Formats: sequence, C-alpha cells, structure tokens
Amino acid sequence: MRSHFILIALALLLTAAPEPASPQSRHGTIRGRVELRKLASAPERRPGVGDPGTPPPRDFPDLRRSVVYLDSAPRGAFETSEGGHAVMDQRNETFVPHVLAISTGMTVDFPNSDTFYHNVFSLSKTQRFDLGRYAAGRSRSIRFDRPGIVRVFCEIHSHMNAFILVFGHPFYALTDTEGRYRIENVPAGVYNVVAWNEGTASDHRSVTVPAGGTAELDFTLR
Amino acid sequence: MTASRAVAVLACLAVVSPAGAQILPSEPIAFADGRITIGGDVSASFGSRDPGFFDFTDYDHSAFRLFRLDVAAAANVGDHVRVLGEIRTENFGQVRLYALYVRVRPWTTKSVDVNIGRVPPTFGAFSRRTYPSDNPLIGYPLAYQYLTTLRPDSVPGDAAELLSKRSSGWLVRYRYGNQNIDKGVPLVSAFRWDTGVQVHTGSGAIQATGAVTAGTIANPLFHDDNSGRQYVGRVEVRPIAGMVAGFSGARGPFVSAVAARSIFGDGHDREFTQTAWGADLEYSRAYYILRYEGIVSDWRMPIVRAPELTLPLRSVSTMIEGKYKIIPGVYVAARFDYLGFSDVTATAAQGPLPWDAPVTRVELGGGVSVQRNLVLKLSAQRNTRDGGRLRPKETLVAGQVVFWF
Repeated sequence: MRSHFILIALALLLTAAPEPASPQSRHGTIRGRVELRKLASAPERRPGVGDPGTPPPRDFPDLRRSVVYLDSAPRGAFETSEGGHAVMDQRNETFVPHVLAISTGMTVDFPNSDTFYHNVFSLSKTQRFDLGRYAAGRSRSIRFDRPGIVRVFCEIHSHMNAFILVFGHPFYALTDTEGRYRIENVPAGVYNVVAWNEGTASDHRSVTVPAGGTAELDFTLR
Repeated sequence: MTASRAVAVLACLAVVSPAGAQILPSEPIAFADGRITIGGDVSASFGSRDPGFFDFTDYDHSAFRLFRLDVAAAANVGDHVRVLGEIRTENFGQVRLYALYVRVRPWTTKSVDVNIGRVPPTFGAFSRRTYPSDNPLIGYPLAYQYLTTLRPDSVPGDAAELLSKRSSGWLVRYRYGNQNIDKGVPLVSAFRWDTGVQVHTGSGAIQATGAVTAGTIANPLFHDDNSGRQYVGRVEVRPIAGMVAGFSGARGPFVSAVAARSIFGDGHDREFTQTAWGADLEYSRAYYILRYEGIVSDWRMPIVRAPELTLPLRSVSTMIEGKYKIIPGVYVAARFDYLGFSDVTATAAQGPLPWDAPVTRVELGGGVSVQRNLVLKLSAQRNTRDGGRLRPKETLVAGQVVFWF
C-alpha cells in the first residue's frame, strides 16, 4: 500500500514539474516567410467636412509586419514572466510600430513625439485602459498581464490605431518588411504555429521542430 | 426617407465595409486608393416629451427625440483640389444637402485653403462639433439651438407685438412680411451651413478663417434673401498644449428683402443686420475637458411705429461645459447655459421687459463606449424660462445611441 502511494506521488511530481533545463542541442528553430496576398489598407482620416482647412500631412503605418507564434507552448514556458519595457511611439499621427508583440508582464511606453495632444486608449477585453491626454515629450506606460490581442486607438485622432499581441510564452516573432521571421530556442517537438496579420485570416500550420535543427515553415495569408 | 430606406443605407454601408468580420464599418470607407473617403454619424435619441419647446430645433424636431443620419464624403482631385459634401436626414424625413463645397489649396507647401460652396461654419467653437459623436451630452448649447422669436422674413411692427410673442420661437409670425407661421432663429444655427467663399490659413499656434456668405450666422442660406453679404471671421490661438482660445465676429443683413420691402419699399434690406461677437476657451488635460463659450448678438430690426423697439435687440449667451472620464470607456459631463435678452418697453405700466424670455439650462449626463465608435449616452436636463406664455420650467431625461465611422 505504502509503495503505491510513493509511486503515485512520484508520478504527480513528474507531471507537474517544469521541464528541466535542456541543453542547447535539445532546442531548435522555426523560420520561414509570411507572404501577404492582400495587404490591409491604412485607415483614412474621416472626411472632416466641418474643418475649414486641410489637416497637416501624416505618416502611414507599416502594415507589412506579421506575427508568427506557437499556438501551444511547451510545458513550463507559461511560468516565465519576462518583465521589461517596449515602446510604441506616437509620431506624425501614427503609432510606431503599428504591431507590437510582447510577453505578459511587460510594460509598453507610449511617448508622444508630436507637437499636439494624443490620448491612447483601448477597450479590448484583454486590457482596457485609457492613458488620458498628454503633450509632446511626455510618455505614459501600461503593463500587460493577460495574453491576447489589444487594439490601441487615439481618442483625438480616430485614424490612429495599432495592435499589441500579448503572449504568455516567449515563442513568437515579428516578421521583417520582407515577411521573414525566426523563432529560436524552441524545445524539440510538434507544434501548432499561427501566422497573424491585420485584416487577413490567420493561418494555422503544424510543424515538427528537430533537436538542434531548424524547421522551415512558410505561410500565405489572404 | 422611410425607415426601410434608412435601414437599406446602413445595410449598404455594412456590405462595403473593409472589415468583413464586422456588421458595420469601424473606419471611414475608402475607395480609389484613399482618394475618396466616406464617413458617417448615426444617432437616435429618445426622451421625455417637451411641451415647453425648450429643445426643439423647429416645429417638428426635438433634440431629445431625434433620429439623425449624416453621411459625409471627401474626394481628392489632384494635389490642389478637394470636393467635400454631406447629406443629412432627421426622423427619416427628407434627405438634405448639408454641405457641398470645393476646397482649393493654391500652394501645396503653404497652409492656405479656399472653400467655395456650402461651407463649414466660421463663427464659434461649438458650430464645428455639432455631431453627436463630438457632443458629450444629448442637448445642444442654447445659443446654437434655442429658437428666439426673431424671424428674417416676418417682422414685428412694434415692441408690444414682439413682447406678445415671448417664448414662442418654435412657431411665430408677425404683421409684416411672410404671414405663414414658422420657427424663429437661434443666435447661431447649428443645423444649416451658409453658402459663400471661405479662406482658412495657419496651423499649429495660430489659425484664422474668414468668409463672405449669403446668409447670417442665425439664418444660413443657400440662396440669398436680400442684397447684402455677411462678413464673418475667426481667429484661433493655441498658447499652450491643451488650450484653444477663439475669437469670432460676424456682420450681415438679416431681414429678407421681401420683409423689408413690405415696410419701407425697395432699397432698405441691407440696413437690418445681425452683428455678433464670440469668445471661446477650451482646456483639456489627462482625463478632463473644460469649455467656455460666450456670444453676443445684436439685431437691428425695422422700426415701424410706436411703441418702438429699443435697438439693437441684444441677446447674450454663456455656456460652460465639462467632461471627465472616470474609467476607460465611461465619462460624465455637465453643461451650464444661460441665454438673456435686452429690454424693450411696450407700455409704461408694464415697464421694460426682455424682448424674449431668458432661459437657463443645466444638463448632466454621461456616456459608455460599448466599442470605440458606439456610445450610449444618458442626459438629464433642467430648463427654466423667465417669462413668456409657455411652461416656465421643465425637466427632461433622454438616452441616445451614437455610432460613427
């Protein structure tokens, strides 16, 4: 009877224990390219019929960047909370970058680099916040503790919006302007990988990450 | 326009929405690589009956019981020319052309714009934020909505006739001019735009706008009803972050040629003017916005016989408004408003009386953002009228749904 209890206790410990620190050779890399068949169009200003003058010129957001991430992460990956800071600037009536990928526990700073007020807010279920109006040279920050997609707006300039993707694990990457991405230090195994881009349907693909090797995985988003 | 046509319009907007997953658009609809943009404001208010006619914008429409649909469009025709327009319908009635003008920017590197057509308001601050999505409450400021007893096309013969109409600006007529019963005018109309040429310059710290138009700020027109033009100007200064100070002035013939002719014959219609001055101040920071706006309007009306009108007929409005966000997506707002009138004397026994009944309005309310462009508002409004024939006090409550894209 006693030996049964010991066996059950050992089994539970093995199940719940975080994965032991793996040697580098037991980790691999996922890399590839995300091709965008359809690029979302940048939001336009409202017609502004009531304004007597033409509004000043503004920048347009870079909508080519996608985010690739593991839909299910290895056991133990969710227990890490990285902390740290990321920056989403407000410049020429545009959030820069337009898409930010961060881990839970990170804080995003929103400096105002324009000469007029901005008011960053989000009504997303993941994180509801409002940083109020603040002037040029000032910055406000918000910490993100729950994973999910947070859509960010400016209350004063309705054409300004951006996305913050918050992950409970570190296995995600932002593509470069050519659509290339690379997720490193992924424990060997089989994963469901997702490619996300604003305004397109996400693509889910399965991939096997070899120990010490690289898995190639390309996506096409429509 | 019937209800089914309004629903059809909304359905069309939903179909062409770029965000296919959503029922209705969340951003302006853009065509031709962004050269054409279409935006809209839809609001529906439902509230208490208003037997005192405090919130009526004409005989049929109360701001507290109103469905309003605005669709605005802008088309870029090259680097120098832009065409802007807006149509509006209220309570599923006739679709009206609210604005249509051409904007010419002679130099792309200089901040100078010339607008020609049915142009945006020049005078005042609230006139540019009459859309429900810009108005934190449901009611309008008195200066922009409350109907005084003056009409441009129907003129009182004496002070006694004018005083007998106090508080009945929602439906009034006088002995001279048009004999059909109709609404009076507010100090500044928030419901029609004037027609003419407007020049705007400046950006950042100082901006200036001037216009020559067919009507007056109280009675904007598409076709001029007299031989004079209105000259109107505004200067806006932004001395520090979050602060906007504005100064406005306007002067133009108010009484129509037909009404003036019925009293004095031809050639006098330019003499009866509306002259107005306005000052406004806005300060915002963090989670609050405070606004003040004061307007003085003088009307020079024809003097026909004794007891004579004491000219000018002056009206003074004062408005203070505040908005504070208490949590993300939820705000509270309040507005205090007063509209006063200068005295005229009909009889010695009666003594001097304001030519229309002064009104005080306090409105408290708030809003909840269901999503960024879908807001639910609730307002309670207390109106007090000092004199006149209609109900002197009234408390109104209303709710409003606002959607914009």
